[in-house]
Parts: sequence; C-alpha cells; structure tokens
Amino acid sequence: MFADNWKISLRQIKRLFVMDIFGISSLILPGIFSTLTGADGILCLTLGMAGGMVLLWLIGANLKHIKTDYYSYIKDTVGQLLGDVFMVFYFLYFVTLCGYVLNQVTMLVLTWLLPEGSWMGVCILLLLLAVYASMRGIEGRARVYEIIFWFLGIPLLIMLFLAMQEVDTACWTPIVSSGGAQFLEGTIAVLIFLLPLTALLFLKPFCQKPQQLASCGRWAMFLVIVLNALIYLILVGVFGQNTMGILKRPIITLMGMVNLPGGFFTRQDVLMTAVWFFALFALMNTGIFQGTLILKDLCQQCRGSWALWATAVLAFIIAKGFFEYNFLTEVFEIYQSHVALPGMFLILLILLSLHWAKERKPKKEGITDV
Amino acid sequence: MPIQVTADLQENIRNFEELFSDCADIKKRNIKVGKNLQEECYIAYIEVALSSVDWKDSAVGKFLGKLRTLPEEELAAYVKNNVEDISDSQPFATIEDAAQAMLTGDVLFFLDGYNKALKIPDKGYPSRGVYETESEKVIRGSNEGFSESVKLNTALIRKRLRSPHVKVKESFAGRRTHTNVDLVYMKDLIHPGMLKEIEKRLGEFEIDGTLDSGIIEQLTEKRKYSPFPQFQTTQRPDRAAMAILEGRIVLLSDNSPVALILPATYNTYIQTSDDYYSRWEIASFTRALRYLASFMAMVFPGLYLAMTNFHTQIVPTDLLLSLAAARQGVPFPAMVEVIIMEIAFELLREAGVRLPGANGNTIGIVGGLIIGQAAVDANIVSPIVVIVVALTALCSFAVPNEEFATAFRILKFMFIFLCGSLGFFGFLTGLLVVLIHLSHLESFGIPYLAPFVGADLNGYQDERDTFLRLPLNFLKKRPVYTREGARTKLKFNQPKEKEKK
Repeated sequence: MFADNWKISLRQIKRLFVMDIFGISSLILPGIFSTLTGADGILCLTLGMAGGMVLLWLIGANLKHIKTDYYSYIKDTVGQLLGDVFMVFYFLYFVTLCGYVLNQVTMLVLTWLLPEGSWMGVCILLLLLAVYASMRGIEGRARVYEIIFWFLGIPLLIMLFLAMQEVDTACWTPIVSSGGAQFLEGTIAVLIFLLPLTALLFLKPFCQKPQQLASCGRWAMFLVIVLNALIYLILVGVFGQNTMGILKRPIITLMGMVNLPGGFFTRQDVLMTAVWFFALFALMNTGIFQGTLILKDLCQQCRGSWALWATAVLAFIIAKGFFEYNFLTEVFEIYQSHVALPGMFLILLILLSLHWAKERKPKKEGITDV
Repeated sequence: MPIQVTADLQENIRNFEELFSDCADIKKRNIKVGKNLQEECYIAYIEVALSSVDWKDSAVGKFLGKLRTLPEEELAAYVKNNVEDISDSQPFATIEDAAQAMLTGDVLFFLDGYNKALKIPDKGYPSRGVYETESEKVIRGSNEGFSESVKLNTALIRKRLRSPHVKVKESFAGRRTHTNVDLVYMKDLIHPGMLKEIEKRLGEFEIDGTLDSGIIEQLTEKRKYSPFPQFQTTQRPDRAAMAILEGRIVLLSDNSPVALILPATYNTYIQTSDDYYSRWEIASFTRALRYLASFMAMVFPGLYLAMTNFHTQIVPTDLLLSLAAARQGVPFPAMVEVIIMEIAFELLREAGVRLPGANGNTIGIVGGLIIGQAAVDANIVSPIVVIVVALTALCSFAVPNEEFATAFRILKFMFIFLCGSLGFFGFLTGLLVVLIHLSHLESFGIPYLAPFVGADLNGYQDERDTFLRLPLNFLKKRPVYTREGARTKLKFNQPKEKEKK
C-alpha cells in the first residue's frame, strides 16, 4: 500500500534538507562570520545563496538526465572507471561529513547536556541510533523529520522573536568593511554548508515527484539562508562582533539568555539544544544513508546491512580522529574548501557538458545523413 | 474421511452418537412424526441452546408439528422440498459438517429416507445481550456496547449502517474452537488490497483455539515486538460503524466483545466517538489534551528526573528549593524513588482491576490516599514524586484506548532509566528511539504516524482531523484509508452553496 514503498514526498524532502543544512550552519557560521567579516556576514550569506543557486541549477540540470539512479547516469556519461572515482569522491565526502557531525553532536551533548558523560559512550549511542534510523531506508528518516519540523521550528521562532528585544542595531554596522579575501572566505564557508544539497542527486529513485527535486532544494536553501541571516543579525545585535567571536556556540548561548514572559523558566538553553541535537542528527543520518547507498552501488555483491555497518564504523573512526586530534579539523576545513567544494561543482559540470556533447552528436550526424 | 449422511436413519444416528459419545450436554432425541406417528426422526442440540420453555413456538417445534400433520410417505419429500421455508436452515451432506453446524448453537434434524442432516436455527448459545460499555465512555452518543455474540455484534453495526454495501465475510479460526470471525466492511470504500491482506494474514496461522479477538490480533500483527498495537480495538458499535464509513475493516470474533479495527494510526487511537458528536471547539480542546496526555504519560517522570537531577538551571530557584526541601530525609536516589512509586501505582492498578467492583474501588482509595500518605510520612518518597506519579497516571487514563495507553506505560520506564542516568540527553535519545520506531511502524500499509506524515497522499485533508477537530463542514473527505475516488463524505446541496455565497 503506501508505507514501505520507498518513496518520500516533496514536503518530506524539503523538511529533511532544511534540518540537514540549518543545524550545522546556524551553529558554526555565526562564529566564522564574526571572526572573518563582522557585520558583512549577511552579504556573505547572500553571495553564498547565489553560489547555492548555481549549484542547484547544476543539480537540477543533471537530474533531468538521470533515468534510473545517479550512479548509472555517471557510468553512462563518463564510463565505469571515472564513474567509480566520482562515487568514491561522494562517499568520502558523505562519510567524512558524517564523522565530523558525529563529533560535533557528541561535543554538543557533552558541553550542554551531559558535561560528565563519556565521549565514547555518547558517540556510540548516537551512532547506534543513526544506524537504527537508517536500517529501514529513507522513509522512516523522512517521516521523523516531517513530524518534528514544526515542533522544533515554532519554539525556535518564538525564542528568536523574544531575543529581538535585546538587539542593538548599532552593532549591525559598519557594513562592506571587510576585505575581498574575507568576503570570499565567508562566502565559501556558506557554500560548504550548502553542499549536503548534492544528496538530492541520489534521491531520484526515492522521490514521488522527481522532477521537482531541485525546486525542493531551492526552497530549503532559501529558508535556511533567511533563518541564518535572522539569527546572525540577532546574535550580532545582542552580543556584538567581538564577544561573539569568543563564544563557542553563540546561538545556544543566546537561547540561554532569552527571558520568557512570566519569568518562570529562566534558562532555556538546555531545552533549546534539542533543536540542534535533532538537526545535527539529521545531517549525520544523511551522511550514513548516502554513504551506505554509494557503498552498495560500488560493491554490488555486498549486502545492505554490511554497507551500513561499514559506513557507520568508518564514520566513528573519523569522529574519533576529530575528537583526538585537533589538527584534523583544520585538515577537514581545507578538504572541504579545496577539494569537496570545487569537486562537487566540477563533477556536475563535467557530467552536464559530456551529456550535452553526447546529445548533440547524433543530431549532427542525423543532419549530415539528410 | 468425512462420513456421509445416508437415507438410513439408524446408520446416521449411530455415526452421530459415536462422534458425540460422552457428551452429556448434547441432547439427542428420537421423535415420532407423521400423521399416525409411524415414522421416526432424530434431533440433536446443545442443552441450553434450545428454547425448551416455548418449545412449541420455536422453529423446531413448529417444524415438528407440521410433520405430524403429514402422511408418513410424504415426509421425506416435504423436508427435501421445503427446507428453505425455514429461515437460515441448511442441509448438510456429512456428519462432521452437520455436527459443526450444531455446535454453533442450532438444532440438527435427521429423518429416515432423507439423506441430509438439516440445521434448524434456534435461540443459540446464551449471551449477555446488549449492555453499556465498561470502557470508552462518552459524554454524548450511544451507550450500546458489543457483546460476546458475533451475530449480535454484526447486527449492531448493521443497525447503524443500513446499506447493501456493508459486507460481512465470515471465516473460522481455531482448529478446535471453530470460532466465527467476521470481517465487516463497506465494499465500495475499502482498498481491496487491505481486505486481501487481512484474509491472507488470517490464513497464515493455524491454532487450536481463539477464545478472544486478542489472540487473532497478536497473530496477525506484522511487528510483533512493538509495544504499540497495530489494530485499534473498540467495544462500541458506533465507533466500529464510524470506522467502516472511513473505509476501514472491522474484525469481529465470536465470544469477544472487543472488535478489531484496521488499519490503525496514532491519530485514530486518540480519537473518540463523541469527538464528532460534540461541537468542534470542545472536541478540538479535548483532542489536543489527549495528545498531550499520551506524550506526558510516557515522559513526565523522566522529565522530572532530568530536570531535578541534571539540569536544575531550568527550574526557577524558588521551585528548586521547595523540591529540595520536599526530598529532605528521603533515603533513596530520585530515580529509585520514582521507580518505587511507579511500581506501587502499577500494583494498585492491577489489584484494582482484578478485584470485584466495589473492592476494586476501595483498593484505589486505600492505595492512593492511605498508602501514599503513609509513604510520604515515613520519608520513603517525597510528596512531589507522589504528584508526578499521580499526574502521569491521570495522563495515561486520558488516552482513550487501553492497549495504546499500555504502550506509553511501558515506555515510561524506559524514559525513567534514560533520563535518570543521562538527563535531558537521555530524554532526547528516548524520544528519537520512539519516533524512529513509530516512523517505521505501519498498520496494513498505512504509516502509523499518518496523517502527520504522508498527508500529501490525500491532499493534506486528513490533517484537519488531528490535533484539532475542525468544524464538520471542513471535513468533507474521508481519510486516506478509503479507496481513491470514494473519499467524499460530505457535500452541500446546491441551494445551500448559493445561500452561502
């Protein structure tokens, strides 16, 4: 009947991607902007959105040519060997992202919710949960986020609305004061956080209306950028640029400062951590799901559960690496900005160009024949 | 090898009595019939299933009376040609089939020269009749409840749905109990696949006996290890009729006053009959309250532990101080204290259910007031924990379906352990586990969390009857369980539309 048909609706896709992108970007971007661009962070967000539009255009253009699934499309376009190389590239992206986010969400728990907890215990528990969520495919995951979207969204919007009262608009200036290099770095940071949108390419077989996948991505990106802009303006207005630079996770600190009318509850940071807990968990889950999907494509003899556990173990090792060695975070940032970001654009461009070239070829031959 | 009924009455009697030897409750009588009482016939019935008081007025009595007016040589021909005059009478060719028919509470009739056994209906097994339901009480609406007789229950549904589209498919479950299992549905509304699926599942097991619909429920559920039921249960004919109107299937089992409804979702468990009989404002308010209650019944003690043991910064200082003062002198850690009280409460509930009516109420009062007060005075538990446990219990009672509420009662302990050892992280983890589990769960092809998920399948119409029950004129469509193309349930006639404009 309806359940277990391995198809998800457009609303589910939109909400899933909002959660995927919003959690990590709202947690980390304000800190990056405050050290790089100050109040110009808004401009970086705008430029980043423009870059995101280009990315989504490329995704949309490629999606039109995907007949069954992305892997087959890549293989048909660039051949088996290069296709496998591309898939390994995607696998590395998703699995490292998963490991990074796993460490982030573990640290979030240990900082705000369970200061005396063990990293290993929290991390393994989260990983097992992610495996459980991914076990029965994309439907279950999509349903979870379809349901909790407003349960998290409404309190967040209320808190942001209440925080607005504390905003000092003088902190929003000066604008266009940062240098070109900082602008570029800020914009690249925004684009990096939009990269999970490339998962759209793999969703064609799972979507009820695949022709609208790219527009779902645009909707999600637009909403996330608007929310991030709002959050950034509030954070700058409340903390000022200098204070914000030294705060670990300014958005959660802000949640702890907002006074609810009536004054019964004095600190909501613990409760509001739920928003980022669920959002980061969503992204981590996307990493595991996509990694498993790609691994299954690459190694077709392997059983699904094997691919799932392999991806999970790999993600755990990467997360442990991030936790143990701080320099790996810097390496990851370099990988994201110098390899993953250009690579994503490049692959999509190559695929599109080759596909167009292939499409034109028979037409020209046809004309000569006539 | 089945034994055929023959034209030789003595042979039939021998075979039949051999089958029912040592059955003192089965009455077997040889009766003389025919104008001159020269011919012999044989009737068999279950002692209490035949109305002996008004024997003459019963179908069997009248039938035998008629046979005594006919010449002996015409008897067999008369029976053969006129059996259908008696409503629900049925001839059987084998002794086994005839015996099975008699065991449903009817009378068996054998006649010399007639090679069939005739089943003649009578009052059947004794049953309770139609009584008020003990559970699922409503403020407004019918108070009739299902009884243990499947036929009576079917009739109670038929009384509410007087349409030829209402179909009743009969089958039998239990090798030794031969329990009647009826599937009642509206032919033009159900998804045909759903009917096939339940029929398939009913055919997938063979059991010695099904004494209640609960056995069928457990054997046909897909996810057997889930604490959440995948069939909705009801004892109310109006609820069952309402479900049929929504394109759902009602499964009635003989000897059980509990009907099973499929498919079931979280939302259907929270709905009650009077949600639709009362005005939408109060219906919506109570509906939202029930949703909150279902959540709190699961997490409230856990949240209390997380807030008081791990995240005291959430709680205002004054409240925190009074909580600390209330706990002074209590020797147990808060988690142990909550578990003690919860187990004590579950014991009280169990004892209250098992004891006869008046004693049950007494134990509730004794347990709730005296033991609770004594436990607080003896510093075994703090008063705040008594309040938390009592509120949690109230929340679980507010969930209209007992089986569904039980799932929250069990999960409550998981939350107590998680929150008691991991604080708010434990709460979030538990919530994720439950959400992921529920999102994987389905009931006969319908997601358990519908219409909060997959609402697009019915144009987002089903969301109008969830947390809030919108006014009836907004609820024009049947839910997604209904076959596509048959989802309109309400439309206004033309003049009314014009008037509105």
